[in-house]
Amino acid sequence: MDFGLVAQYLLNGIVLGVIYSMVAAGFTLFFGVLNVIKFSHGDVVMAGAFTALAAFAGLELLDAGVGMFAALIITVAGIVAMATLGAVLARMLILPLRNAPPLNTLLITLMFGLALRESVRLFYPNGSNPKPFPQLLPDLSMTFGNLALRLDSVLLIIVGLGAIVGVHLLIQRTRIGLAVRAVAQDPETARIMGINFERVVLLTFALGSGLAALAGITNGLYYSEVNFGMGLLLGVIGFSAAVVGGLGSIYGAIIGGFLFAGLQTIGAVWFAVPAYKDVFAFGCIIVLMAWKPTGLLAERSSERV
Amino acid sequence: MSTLLQIEDVISGYDQADVLTGVSIEVPAQQITCLLGSNGAGKTTLIRAILGLTPARSGRIMFEGVEITHEATHRIVGLGISCIPEGRRVFPGMTVRENLRVGGYTETKRDAVDKRLEEVFETFPRLEERADQLAGTMSGGEQAMLSIGRGLMSAPKLLIVDEPSLGLSPLLVKENFKVIQRVNELGVTVLLVEQNVRQTLAIAHQGYVLSKGRIAAHGDADRLRDDEEVRAAYFGN
Repeated sequence: MDFGLVAQYLLNGIVLGVIYSMVAAGFTLFFGVLNVIKFSHGDVVMAGAFTALAAFAGLELLDAGVGMFAALIITVAGIVAMATLGAVLARMLILPLRNAPPLNTLLITLMFGLALRESVRLFYPNGSNPKPFPQLLPDLSMTFGNLALRLDSVLLIIVGLGAIVGVHLLIQRTRIGLAVRAVAQDPETARIMGINFERVVLLTFALGSGLAALAGITNGLYYSEVNFGMGLLLGVIGFSAAVVGGLGSIYGAIIGGFLFAGLQTIGAVWFAVPAYKDVFAFGCIIVLMAWKPTGLLAERSSERV
Repeated sequence: MSTLLQIEDVISGYDQADVLTGVSIEVPAQQITCLLGSNGAGKTTLIRAILGLTPARSGRIMFEGVEITHEATHRIVGLGISCIPEGRRVFPGMTVRENLRVGGYTETKRDAVDKRLEEVFETFPRLEERADQLAGTMSGGEQAMLSIGRGLMSAPKLLIVDEPSLGLSPLLVKENFKVIQRVNELGVTVLLVEQNVRQTLAIAHQGYVLSKGRIAAHGDADRLRDDEEVRAAYFGN
């Protein structure tokens, strides 16, 4: 195998790693702050991509559906819509169930995800078929031997990593981030310190859901296609990545995301049939979880988010 | 002398059981008022009612003449009430400095927070030495210090201290009580909730004895010191 091909696989793996990390970061944020697992997260990824697609259709009507500017607009539209959805979801479904058994939250978000997925399938025009996602990023590439370095991939990596690092800095360095960490460590004492608990929860869900939308749009721009069921696999991958990395830690989400992407890439190279890559990756994750049940960066109860 | 905090006929508790069955107390401004009582008397429940964590079922709680009975906790705290919770409750995964910053969360101006941080460091030089250490790795005494410092970061009008002597060595207890007294001398009203009768009455101006969810006795610290009812409240009838 030559260098160019290896580099191509590597680049592909990095894009996937960024997408998975963004999804996993959401799971980790929700769990860190409220100890809940939100199973509709994968479908929010999908809904973010479809919101962007709808925004693109709107731009096309205005004859503005080309280029980087359009890409920016539809990305912002997807993120804002999903961030709002995330906050509403937290307010209407998750906070009211705070004192119920965690299983109820899990079940209700699972059902919400299903409803979201089926709604897109039924109500988005021709929603049950895969939809082409517009190619809005510059179609430039540099060729080094066998390696074609696509500019759009590089751009997606930069934006995705930037978003994750941004969220991390927000939580570690700002006043509102301090409040998020305080709530994650001891919600009651955080309230005694004058922190508005509910606002912190809504913000966290908005943040995680916005990241999910960005992951969905990145996925669409990278594969040039989205479908109503894409959130199912992305959700399970993001969840596994978060758990393997250690739920509650953003670093863990990043490590888990890239680990899964790496395993998929190895699986794709190793087996002649690319379809085996998910079987291989999930198999490895199962073994890994049996070996380290609390995740690679085991959460010490004191060091959340 | 004005009343800073006034509690009128508060009934509160958890689920079906009432822990407080009609409690009225007054906390005069600038003074140390203590609330004595044995385990299960309802002291913590009363604090939770004041802070809005377990809102009172009936009765009224007034702070500076404004009713706060059914306000949200962050609003009540924002009015100038600070609490040093039982068992310290420092944020273990945060540094000492971050813990103090959370304490000053209600203050939105960054330089005001920085200034108070310096004042707390002046009071507790030990905290400055450990500013970047994770609070969870500190000793119990240091955590107690941090918890007090954190409570002062919001520059409160009323400081509620819940069982500061719990789990500390006699020497540290003495030190903590001295700090509380000093804070009061600087003009902060204190509501001190304790089981440790002797030391509490030594620094308090006046106090209440809570027993089985009601006020069993109240008066000046001197009077409470040799009151039969205080003894009865502690050792049963």
